Amino acid sequence: MRKRNTRSYFCILLMSFFFAATKEVTAEGNYRIVAHPSVNESSISKNYLRAIFSMRLRTWQNGLIIKVFVLPDDHSLHHKFSKEQLNLFPYQLRQSWDRLVFSGTGQAPTTVSSSEEMQNRIKNTPGAIGYLETTYINGEIHVLQIK
Amino acid sequence: MYSRLNSVLHVAFLAPCRSIAMVLTFCLLTNIGTALAERSIGHLKTENTETQQQSTLKWILDRLQFQGFASQAFIATSDNDVFGNTDEGGSFGFTELGLNALFRPLPKLQLSAQMLSRRAGKDNTGMPRLDFAFLDYRLYSNETNQFGIRLGRIKNPFGFYNETRDVAFTRPSILLPQSIYFDRTRNLGLSSDSVQLYGETSHAKWGDFTVQFQIGSPNVDDSDTRISLVPTAPGRLSPDISIIGRGLYETPNKRFRFAVSGIWVNIDYDPARMDRFGSGDIEFSPIFISAQYNTERFTFTSEYALRKFRYSGFNNPQYDSLDFFGESFYFQGEYRFNQKWEALLRYDLLFTDRDDRSGKKFAALTGAPAHSRFARDFTVGLRWNITPQIMARFEYHRINGTGWLAPLDNPVSSETTKDWNLFAAQLSFRF
Repeated sequence: MRKRNTRSYFCILLMSFFFAATKEVTAEGNYRIVAHPSVNESSISKNYLRAIFSMRLRTWQNGLIIKVFVLPDDHSLHHKFSKEQLNLFPYQLRQSWDRLVFSGTGQAPTTVSSSEEMQNRIKNTPGAIGYLETTYINGEIHVLQIK
Repeated sequence: MYSRLNSVLHVAFLAPCRSIAMVLTFCLLTNIGTALAERSIGHLKTENTETQQQSTLKWILDRLQFQGFASQAFIATSDNDVFGNTDEGGSFGFTELGLNALFRPLPKLQLSAQMLSRRAGKDNTGMPRLDFAFLDYRLYSNETNQFGIRLGRIKNPFGFYNETRDVAFTRPSILLPQSIYFDRTRNLGLSSDSVQLYGETSHAKWGDFTVQFQIGSPNVDDSDTRISLVPTAPGRLSPDISIIGRGLYETPNKRFRFAVSGIWVNIDYDPARMDRFGSGDIEFSPIFISAQYNTERFTFTSEYALRKFRYSGFNNPQYDSLDFFGESFYFQGEYRFNQKWEALLRYDLLFTDRDDRSGKKFAALTGAPAHSRFARDFTVGLRWNITPQIMARFEYHRINGTGWLAPLDNPVSSETTKDWNLFAAQLSFRF
């Protein structure tokens, strides 16, 4: 009687595998790595960028605190950015941030809900870094070149 | 012999560590004080008190992060109890709640603390406890190298999952592979009051290398740990100097992750009044080897542990003869169908004593069932990311053996069942 009980749960579990359908991520337009004008570096290396977004580095070379902004984990620009610029899958980034936060050994980046909010936070936060589609980039935002 | 070595270690390490900790804390507090005072003076010249208070609040909030999680599971077993009375229709006896604050008053300094409430079986009542609380000071930092020190109650760095084992989002399954991440002696492995040195170096081509080394005293003050380690002795366990170290290597894209960790835990047995046992020592020194391979859709993870146990000084042949190696291994595959759905497949193996894998020698010696000395757990699971903040999980285990079953929840080992099934579902929320 009891055995049948857990076995039926197993069947439900097995069935739900079939409902797990696949959905592809759609690509977005051009984007740039952007920063607050107080970040006085014109270009940074990929390794430096990776260290920043892995939240290992805490300050810019001029001593200013680094403030990292990202779009939500399921945002297509976030996917594009992490794969192309960091060579990491979004789930790997989230896992490494979670390890830092829940072991107390680091902080997580700030998640913004949209590109508008990203634009707003980047231009108003000293030391900020993030990524934006080119249509959102104006004179108040500093574009970082990747070496 | 261990206690003599330990008292030497006590004098040689702990005393200076404590004084260094005190001096460092004092320096840091003065530093923060000065930083705050400078801000206040700067503002006094130009602004009134109200806006000054507002800007101080903003200054703090800018540097402070809060995170939390809440998970509730339902567990049903065919036989044997896991986190509550689960073999009679199931139970909602597994709840995890956590809240942490991470404060970075200076670029080089982080203060971190986490409160944790865990309700799971008879030993975890849900009483909130301080999970970690430490300061992390970056002694040296540049683009590629980091070096620093951590002081306080620190999560023990071993394996891939230990430091975040109570956060459902960071686990591959509802129950972590029990052969490595025992839940019954979890407090021993969880965190310890210690000093940790850490170093990280990253190379564009070769990848990242992280080393952590800590020395401190483990948490042994709970009844599940006592019953698991000294089931028939009435006295208490007290912690002694313990050492933990881990080296982690990751390729630049984190496709390959590889770690080696080692622990050297020492526990003293303090006899009760009229105790027939002497003041014994338990040495527990496991070594862990961990490897992981990540692709966009697949993650393969495997960990192996060789665990050395040695008892001495109990003046009791049953305990003093205990000198054996335990062995643990699991292999796990995860598959991501898309951002919403993930599947898990795992085979997890535990032998309490690698020279007695069937448990027959142990059964002949003690009369306890042979199946209490091993466990083979085959798990299938499904994860559903409803939103980035809400997750549901379902999993099914077929288990042969009761090697990792908690004795507090299953007090009579002869009444346990060798072959059993476990189903679990969990809903988890984070912010």
